[in-house]
Amino acid sequence: MLFPTLSFGLFFLGVFTIVWAASGSNEWRKILLLLASWVFYGAWDWRFVALLIGSALLNWGSAELIWYNRDAPAGRRRAIMIAGITGNLLILGFFKYYGFFVEQLGDVLRSVGYARDLPLMQVVLPVGISFFTFQGMSYLADVHAERLAPARLLDVTLLMSFFPHLVAGPIVRGSDLLPQFEESPRLTRDMASMGLVLIVWGLFKKAVVASELSTGLVDPVFFDPAAHSRLDLVAAAYGYAVQIYCDFSAYSDMAIGIAALLGYRFPLNFNQPYRAASLQEFWRRWHISLSSWLRDYLYIDALGGSRKGFARQCVNLMVTMLLGGLWHGAKWTFVIWGGLHGGVLALERIWDRIRPPSLPRLPRVLGILITFHVVLVGWIFFRAESFDAAIAYFRGLGRAGADSAVLTPLACALIVFGMAIHFTPADLGQKLALKLRLFPAWALGLLVGITILIIDVMRFEGVAPFIYYQF
Amino acid sequence: MPNDTPSPIDLPEPELEESGLGWAFGVILIASLFLLFANAVSLRDWIEDQHPSPVQARAAEYADQWVATTEGLGIGLPRKAMHTRWKQVEETRFARTTQKGRAVDGRD
Repeated sequence: MLFPTLSFGLFFLGVFTIVWAASGSNEWRKILLLLASWVFYGAWDWRFVALLIGSALLNWGSAELIWYNRDAPAGRRRAIMIAGITGNLLILGFFKYYGFFVEQLGDVLRSVGYARDLPLMQVVLPVGISFFTFQGMSYLADVHAERLAPARLLDVTLLMSFFPHLVAGPIVRGSDLLPQFEESPRLTRDMASMGLVLIVWGLFKKAVVASELSTGLVDPVFFDPAAHSRLDLVAAAYGYAVQIYCDFSAYSDMAIGIAALLGYRFPLNFNQPYRAASLQEFWRRWHISLSSWLRDYLYIDALGGSRKGFARQCVNLMVTMLLGGLWHGAKWTFVIWGGLHGGVLALERIWDRIRPPSLPRLPRVLGILITFHVVLVGWIFFRAESFDAAIAYFRGLGRAGADSAVLTPLACALIVFGMAIHFTPADLGQKLALKLRLFPAWALGLLVGITILIIDVMRFEGVAPFIYYQF
Repeated sequence: MPNDTPSPIDLPEPELEESGLGWAFGVILIASLFLLFANAVSLRDWIEDQHPSPVQARAAEYADQWVATTEGLGIGLPRKAMHTRWKQVEETRFARTTQKGRAVDGRD
C-alpha cells in the first residue's frame, strides 16, 4: 500500500476516523493503531507481520531482561544487550545479506580452487526490515544506557509497527515516540495544518517530480548507458540527484504529516541537503534519522568516535560509512558509495587539521558546488545496477556527442525546480502552515482538494514504489 | 512531547488555543467530497484496477455512471482540460538541430 495511492487514501480516512473516535481510551487507540499498522504491512505480505511481531517480542524481552538485571554486574547487562542486538542482526542478515554473502563466499572458494555447491536460497526481502531492526537495536542500546526505561509490550510493538514510518522511515527512536504513547494525544490546528502541508508537498514531489524524472529520463539512461549520449548521461545524473531527493524526502514528509494528523510528532529527516557546503554538513541534512543513528550508536557508542585519537577517528568514519552503505543493500555499489562518503569525510577532517591558518576558507558557493558534485558521483554508484555499469556510465561521460534522445524541456524544468527548492527559505512550509491554520475548514478543504486534483492531473500513470522501500 | 529533536510540525509561533480535531476533520471531509466530484475518473480507474469480482464489477458500473454524471454536469471538465494540457507539456521536445542550426523537423 503506497502512500500516494487511492488505496492508502481510503485506508487513512478509515484509520483517522476510527482512531480519533476511540481516543477516550488511550489503550484502545493504540490497539487500533497497531491493528491498522499490521493491515498496512500485511498488504505487502501477511507472513511478514509475524516477523514484525517476533522482532518486537525480541526487543521487548531483551529490554525487560536488561532492566531486571540493572543492579547486576555491568558485564551481564551488556551481554544481554549484545544478545538482543545480535538477534536483530541475524534477522536482518538472513533476509537481506544471506544471498550476497553466500555468493561472495562461493567466489572466494572458487578463486582458491575449492569450488563447492553452497546452499543458495531465494530469500524474499521484507519491506522496511532495515528500518524496524535499526529501531529495535537503538531501543535496546537506550535501555542499556539508561537513557530510556523499558516500555510495555504494546508500546514497543506499536513503536516498531507504527505504519507512517514502518517501511521507509524516518527511524523514529523510542526516546522520541514512546513518551508520546503514554497519553492520548491532542490534535492542534498547528499539527493539522503543517501535517496537510507536508502530505500535499510530499505528494507533489513524489507523484510529479520524482516519477516524471524516473520514468522519462533516469531509468532509460541508467538501463543502457552505452546507448546514450554524454548529454543524456549528464542530465540523467543530475536528474537522479533530484529524483532520489524528491522521492525519499517525499516519503518522510508524508510520514511526518500522517503521524501529525494522528497526533504524533516525528523528527525532521531532510533539511535541504544540496545546499550543504561540506560532506559533514550534507549528512546533517540528508536522512537525518539514519545519519544521527549511525553517529550515536555505531560511530560513538560502538567504535569510540574521536575518543581514541585522530587516526582512529578517520578509520571510524570510514567504517561507519561503509556499513552505512551496506545498510542500503547487499551490493558492492552501495559499499563503494559508502566508502566514497567515508573517504571524503575523513579527508575533510584531515584538511581541517593541516590547513595553514593563513589560507582563506573556500567561498561557501564553491563549497556547495564541490560537495554537490561529490554527492552526484556517489549517486551514480548508488543507482547503477553493478560496479561495471557504474564504470560504463563514467566512461560514457567522456564520449563525444551532445544529441539527446530523452531530455525534454519538462525534465530540464523539473531538475532546475528540484535544485531551486534547496535555496528557498527553510521555514517556507511552516510559514504557509501558520497562514493556513487561520483558514475556515471549508476554505482549506477546497484548497487541499484543488491542489490534490492538480497533482493528480500531472502525475505519471501508475505510482512507482519509493526508492527506499527496497532498503 | 519531547522537543530535543527538531520536527517540522513545531511551528515558530504560539499554538492556537482551540482544538484542531473538528477543524481537521472538516478540512479532510470537504477535500474528499471535492475530489469525489471533481476527480471521479481517478475513483473509476482505481475500482477498475481492483481484483475482479461481482462486487468490483458492480462498483465499476456505478463508477462509470458517476463519471458520466460529473462530466454531464461539467464538474469533471477542468480535470480533463488540465490533463490534456499537461500531456502536451510532457510530449514537448527540444527541436533537434543540424550543425547549421536548422531544425531537422522542419521548424526553424
